[in-house]
Amino acid sequence: MHTQAISANHSDTAATSALTIDGLILCRQQQHLLSLSATIRGGEILTIMGPSGSGKSTLLNWVTGMLPVGFSAQGQLHLNGHNITTMASHLRHIGLLYQDPLLFPHLSVAGNIAFAMPPSPKAQRQAAISDALVQVGLGGLEQRSPQSLSGGQQARVALLRVLLSQPKAILLDEPFSKLDSQLRHETRQLVFDQIREHQLPAIMVTHDQTDADAAQGKIISLAQFNKPVID
Amino acid sequence: MSTIAKLFNPMVRFSPFIMMALLLFPVLGGLIGVILPALGWIPALDQTQFNLNGFSQLWQTPGIGHMALLSITTSLVSTLLAFIITILILASYFTSPWLGYIQRLLGPILVIPHAAAAIAIGFLITPSGMVSRLASPWLSGWDAPPDWLYPHDALGLSIILGLTLKELPFLLLMALGVLAQPDLGQTLRAQHKVALSLGYCPMTAFFKVVLPSLYPHLRLPILAVLTYASASVEIPLILGPNNPPTLAVAIMQWFHDVDLSLRIKASAGAIVQIQLTLLVLACWWLLERLVIKFAKPLLTNGEREYGGVIIQQFTHVITALMLAVIGLALVGLVLWSFAGFWYFPDALPQQFVILHWQSALQQMHTPLIDTLLIALCATALAITLTLLTLEAEQHSGKSLSLLGSVLIYLPLLIPSIAFLFGLVWLLEQINSQHTFINVVLAHVLFVLPYVFLSLASSYRRFDPRFSIVAASLGASKAKIFFRIKLPMLIGPIFIACALGLAISFSQYLPTLLTGGGRINTITTEAVSLANGGSRRISAVYALMQMMLPALGFLLAWLLPKLISTNHYQK
Repeated sequence: MHTQAISANHSDTAATSALTIDGLILCRQQQHLLSLSATIRGGEILTIMGPSGSGKSTLLNWVTGMLPVGFSAQGQLHLNGHNITTMASHLRHIGLLYQDPLLFPHLSVAGNIAFAMPPSPKAQRQAAISDALVQVGLGGLEQRSPQSLSGGQQARVALLRVLLSQPKAILLDEPFSKLDSQLRHETRQLVFDQIREHQLPAIMVTHDQTDADAAQGKIISLAQFNKPVID
Repeated sequence: MSTIAKLFNPMVRFSPFIMMALLLFPVLGGLIGVILPALGWIPALDQTQFNLNGFSQLWQTPGIGHMALLSITTSLVSTLLAFIITILILASYFTSPWLGYIQRLLGPILVIPHAAAAIAIGFLITPSGMVSRLASPWLSGWDAPPDWLYPHDALGLSIILGLTLKELPFLLLMALGVLAQPDLGQTLRAQHKVALSLGYCPMTAFFKVVLPSLYPHLRLPILAVLTYASASVEIPLILGPNNPPTLAVAIMQWFHDVDLSLRIKASAGAIVQIQLTLLVLACWWLLERLVIKFAKPLLTNGEREYGGVIIQQFTHVITALMLAVIGLALVGLVLWSFAGFWYFPDALPQQFVILHWQSALQQMHTPLIDTLLIALCATALAITLTLLTLEAEQHSGKSLSLLGSVLIYLPLLIPSIAFLFGLVWLLEQINSQHTFINVVLAHVLFVLPYVFLSLASSYRRFDPRFSIVAASLGASKAKIFFRIKLPMLIGPIFIACALGLAISFSQYLPTLLTGGGRINTITTEAVSLANGGSRRISAVYALMQMMLPALGFLLAWLLPKLISTNHYQK
């Protein structure tokens, strides 16, 4: 099921970095939803496509350890060689990017990013935040409130928040679907570049074929209540 | 065109003004009726010189500082406890189905009148109550009821227990209401997930991400709870110390004194009560500022775990303890109402009798009918005015102004003890002899805000396209109102009715004061029985107080179902 595709900039460190879904069977109230096995190496993006109700989001919920009531799952999940199938969500170090940026309204832009960073001296973290903001073209916006930013700027802050939390993998849940086409293209490029640069395994759920093409990875199409068809 | 259709539009146009007048005049008139006597102006006692004698009398009252302090501490501590437990429950069960179960268990507590709740808790902690019975003699070694002062302890711990248990369900349901708002609730839950994915333990994620966004929505309910608690009468009267009592209870006793000159002191006390309530609100505000100031840097310090597991276990214990206290209080009440002989350390009575129910039901015949009549009249008036005012909003296309919204909640925002005495005085001045109407109007002051609160959101959310379709079919506004809106909103209307009835059933002070002793309801009877006479009869009255609103809500839940099924079977 998962054979090819080692990304071009695959390095030695990335060889150990991988997210492996092993024999997953997801059910909704005893009804079979999907079966999946896949290995995603660092810097690779696995794209999951399919209509609503095909279980895309449920799959991401399972990977984050937040499977809703009414769903059940079999199968194992490995991250960098550790079995994390039953580990609590907050200990998994799997970052999430949703279509809504979901920035915390009670914190500033810098506060949102600082929230995500591991504890370290304040000055050090502030310097890291400023650097990161400059890199994505948001230099000087540290103290702004998230609501005062445009949609594209919010999306970039959300990306920085995930990246600076030093995740070991990233899940993208229709991350660009609320952006207009120009912004979508730019943001997508930025997100994918960062994923490759940090050598993170990523799973992206999307409706959009151009997203899937841009990811340049394996694409799995889910049909409703059917076994997956592999492209 | 029928008469109703002709009258409908003018009625709709005027109803907001009638509603405002019904709320504004009694409250403002009542305040004036307290301020004037407080300044020494009581023509009935030949006092027409303005002076501050009332206030100096008040300062000279022995224990006045203690009374004020008791009001302040009991209201602040109980609200703080209720708030903390609410937050702990939300934080511990945020992603768990238990949140829903706890909501369903605590929801009914909301409509239990304060007096009934106080009686139940009093029975629980009294020397021969369930707590000491269950602990005796195996744990405590007591063969006779212990010699403690509960439920009338001087520190007001019993008051705090009573207020906390009543305030907690209110705050919790308010918070769950906020989380049930489609946009806000989903966003907060998604942000909680984001925090988990960033490595925050669920407890820390709640405190750092959800609480800062949730709290602003809880501030107003908290202030309402503080206002109520600082000036409430029923709970301190039944669960509080007698000498000295809380300020609000003392004011009530001075007003009822045979010595009419004490009314001046009581009026001055009512003015001080308003200031005391404001002081309590200011204390909360200060506390809030301090917490925000000290907690803000913690939000972004990156710490992800603060002993969440221990806090969660602590919450399990607190929640279980609280549910046990409530359950035990209710069981105790039922046992007392059927108890024959009941020797001390035994947990169950030696014999069960229905004698108390029989004699109580005979006694309560007239109060019961009065209770129902007053509640039905007040609720009918409140529902009619609310529906017409909401309809007026849609006719004019404008929402109620901010001033209008504040006016609706005015009777809940001003301590009722501060204006009700003035209202009684005002009614005496205009020589209103119709006691029944006076009581109904006083109840409307408190029923209306709740009915409006309960109906407004569903009425405003009503899909306007139904009205547009009906209008395009040639229906008049009156026809749309009666034939489309009312039938479609029958569920929320019935719930609002049940709520209105429950609020009216529970009114103690308004009934006592405007009724002038001529009209008694189950609640006024229950309070006067609570501290004397027979604990068994008192238990029956408290249970009746609980059954009436429960019956109302049961009907409100059943009737719309029956109506709609009948409709379709034809």
